[in-house]
Amino acid sequence: MSAVIEAWNLSRWYGNVLGISEVNLEIQPGITALLGPNGAGKSTFMKIITGQLKPNLGEARIFGEKVWNNRRIFRRLGFCPEVDAFYEELSGFEFLSGLLSLYGFSPAECRKRAEKALELVELSDVKHRQVRSYSRGMRQRIKIAQAIAHDPEVLILDEPLSGLDPLSKRRIIKLIKEFKAAGKTIVVSSHVLPEVEAMTSEIVLIHQGKILARGDIYFIRELIDTHPHMIRIKSPHFRELAKILATEDYVLNISFEPPDQAVIFETHHRDKFFNRLNDLILESSLTIDEITSPDDNLQAVFDYLVGK
Amino acid sequence: MTTIREKGYHHWDGQLIEKRCTFWPITRTGIKLAFQRKYFKFLFASSFFPAVVYAVGIYVSERLEDFKFMAQGAERTIQVNPGFFKSYLSQDFLFFMIILLMALGGAGLISDDFRHKAVQLYFARPITKLDYLLGKAGVVVFFVGLLTLVPGLLLLVIKLLFSGSFKFFLQYPWLILSIIFYSLFLMIFFTSFVLLLSSLSKNRRYVSVLIFAVYFLSDITQGIFNVIFRSPYSALFSIKSNLKQVAAAFFLEKLPYAYPWYLSFLVLIIFCLLSYVVIKRKVRGVEVIR
Amino acid sequence: MRNEILRVFSFYFFLGKKSARTKVFFMISSASALLALVIRVYHLAGNWTETGQVIFQNILMVFFLQFLIIILALFYGTSIVAEELEGKTLPYLSSRPVARAAIIIGKYLAYLSLTSAIMISAVLVSYFILNLDQDFRLADFWTAIRYSLVLFLGLAAYLSFFTFLGTWLKRPILVGLAFGFGWESIIQYFPGTTQKLSIAHYLKSLLPQYITSSGKLGFLFIRLEPTKSVVAVITLVLIAVIFLGLASLIFSYKEYLFED
Repeated sequence: MSAVIEAWNLSRWYGNVLGISEVNLEIQPGITALLGPNGAGKSTFMKIITGQLKPNLGEARIFGEKVWNNRRIFRRLGFCPEVDAFYEELSGFEFLSGLLSLYGFSPAECRKRAEKALELVELSDVKHRQVRSYSRGMRQRIKIAQAIAHDPEVLILDEPLSGLDPLSKRRIIKLIKEFKAAGKTIVVSSHVLPEVEAMTSEIVLIHQGKILARGDIYFIRELIDTHPHMIRIKSPHFRELAKILATEDYVLNISFEPPDQAVIFETHHRDKFFNRLNDLILESSLTIDEITSPDDNLQAVFDYLVGK
Repeated sequence: MTTIREKGYHHWDGQLIEKRCTFWPITRTGIKLAFQRKYFKFLFASSFFPAVVYAVGIYVSERLEDFKFMAQGAERTIQVNPGFFKSYLSQDFLFFMIILLMALGGAGLISDDFRHKAVQLYFARPITKLDYLLGKAGVVVFFVGLLTLVPGLLLLVIKLLFSGSFKFFLQYPWLILSIIFYSLFLMIFFTSFVLLLSSLSKNRRYVSVLIFAVYFLSDITQGIFNVIFRSPYSALFSIKSNLKQVAAAFFLEKLPYAYPWYLSFLVLIIFCLLSYVVIKRKVRGVEVIR
Repeated sequence: MRNEILRVFSFYFFLGKKSARTKVFFMISSASALLALVIRVYHLAGNWTETGQVIFQNILMVFFLQFLIIILALFYGTSIVAEELEGKTLPYLSSRPVARAAIIIGKYLAYLSLTSAIMISAVLVSYFILNLDQDFRLADFWTAIRYSLVLFLGLAAYLSFFTFLGTWLKRPILVGLAFGFGWESIIQYFPGTTQKLSIAHYLKSLLPQYITSSGKLGFLFIRLEPTKSVVAVITLVLIAVIFLGLASLIFSYKEYLFED
């Protein structure tokens, strides 16, 4: 299958600050998630492939055509920017129908499409309210609505789930999956791993402007599994806990935080560790106040991958 | 391996020591931001051009003998008296430069806070509305003061230094008070003017245009009324003319318009009071969306 | 491209109509009508002997030509790009199937229509307040139309120039103010060819010059060495077209970054 979005040697910097560097990527139909911490270069990449920015080096193409100022491409493209910005004095309905009119649809068609998009993001009941009066979640949803209202073939969504409540998140994820089922190409950016996992298994890890890894999310997980996990347990019996678990061969390292009455374990096999911990809690009278994984966030994953 | 901690909130166990000048950080930041704007430094420096010219004027007036070959009749034109100081503090160029500087560096004082929803961040700290307004006013006061009070007093000192005696000071002992109080009056007026317009919109560019528009519109209205009605009272419509009328009164000089000076003073004071009421209503910690 | 321009025009004309700023500028321009009303009452009371034409030209020159037209063009012209950058709404526009040049031209036409409507309605109302009486002739009506057309041309030229500044410079307001209230108000009083470097010169060349009994308005036409009407019209149209073309060209190739 030929790639819908292609990027060759794409580089972009802002003065001395690097946006992205030598990004080579081919994106096929389906959902591709750009995963990376804030400032990794996800938005820069998206801005280039949607024609908002020009690359300093390299080239980006959609359907084999250059994007900058290319009207043919924009007709087939839907873009949901990250910034929380609107024509505030318009109502949700006016905002959508106004933007739809730029595609050359008839006024009746604009109204019809606007209504449909509002329905999809569940904003029909507030469509005549000014956008400035919308809540953060509603603003996020109207932004997604403007990207899908003209039924594009390629959908670029920059942090589409940020600011949404769990229910809205689920609804938008479902919507994105429906687009995938219709054979469209969707590129989503996020810095939240579970959100991405809920949408797709095809991910691109981006960090400090470079593509760090690309492929199936389980492959990335495995990659991460080659590095020890950290598990922090806060308990009044933290030393006893350490003594018991020190005998297990999958526990690689133990360190203490006495002021917090906490112990930190490093392990290769998180599942085995938690199974044993569950048994221990049930068997003994050990009190556990808190269990956290200090490195179970994306930044830690990246730090592992870049070998920090 | 370094422990990677999640970001979160930490309780602060310290003791809050209240400082009196809570408005000062706001003023300091405002001044700093104004200087960061492109062209601002250049314009600010250019605004001191009249002060330099007036200082040279004082020097020439004290050394007329040396300059007689260059400027015949200079003794008639360069007379350093209260009128000299009044003319410095009420000249068109100075007002124009203040307006220009404020359009560039003062327009965003409140409007930028509205735009970035920063007002609520201010009021989430131990800052009262008065502190906030004082902080913003401090920025305008700083710049207007540097262009009026400081050069005004410096010119007086220069005059005393060049003349080498206190004769001038003893001749006009009230002059120093006139300079101080008229400069303060200008600071209060321009602060109200700039902050009022800045509080009317979220858009700094729009405020910049408004600062110019209101200033010039007031002059234009005076011009039109003056042509038609031929009445000196037309000057009451103009910001600039009112300031000049008050300046003449402060420096005990002949009034430029044939009507009592206190009318101009009243017009400007009422404007300041109304501005204060509007600004106070506009600056709120919570944005009300209708 | 024409369709694209029309689409952008419709959207921004609608948006402009809804904007609070348009209402403020409408109020400012309506001040001329209020002024005219006051003068008319004063005139009817027999306190001033000048004709309505002379009084109107005074308002036209001082209020419309040297103030309102510049303020409107400066604000709306620089807004064309700046408002999208300040509001961070540019991605909504630049990811639609309209050429970047069409965005500039469409917005320019939308704002030209809006500002013209604001200004011309104020001109006509003020004119009729001052001149409508038993002596009103058809020729007077044409004078009103002529004034409106001259101001429209002026607005088109100024708006185009400020649009160009807006696409070219990051902060066009200061340069715009310096041009509008500095250069334009000084250079038009210079003798010879120098005055032809101002837009105001061509506008003044197109206006009828009423001589007052007292010569009160003399200063407004001081040192004016009028350009022929045809040349003045062509020059104004050329200014509008050239600067709009330059603005479109810059916007087509330049990328704009949000400040924060």
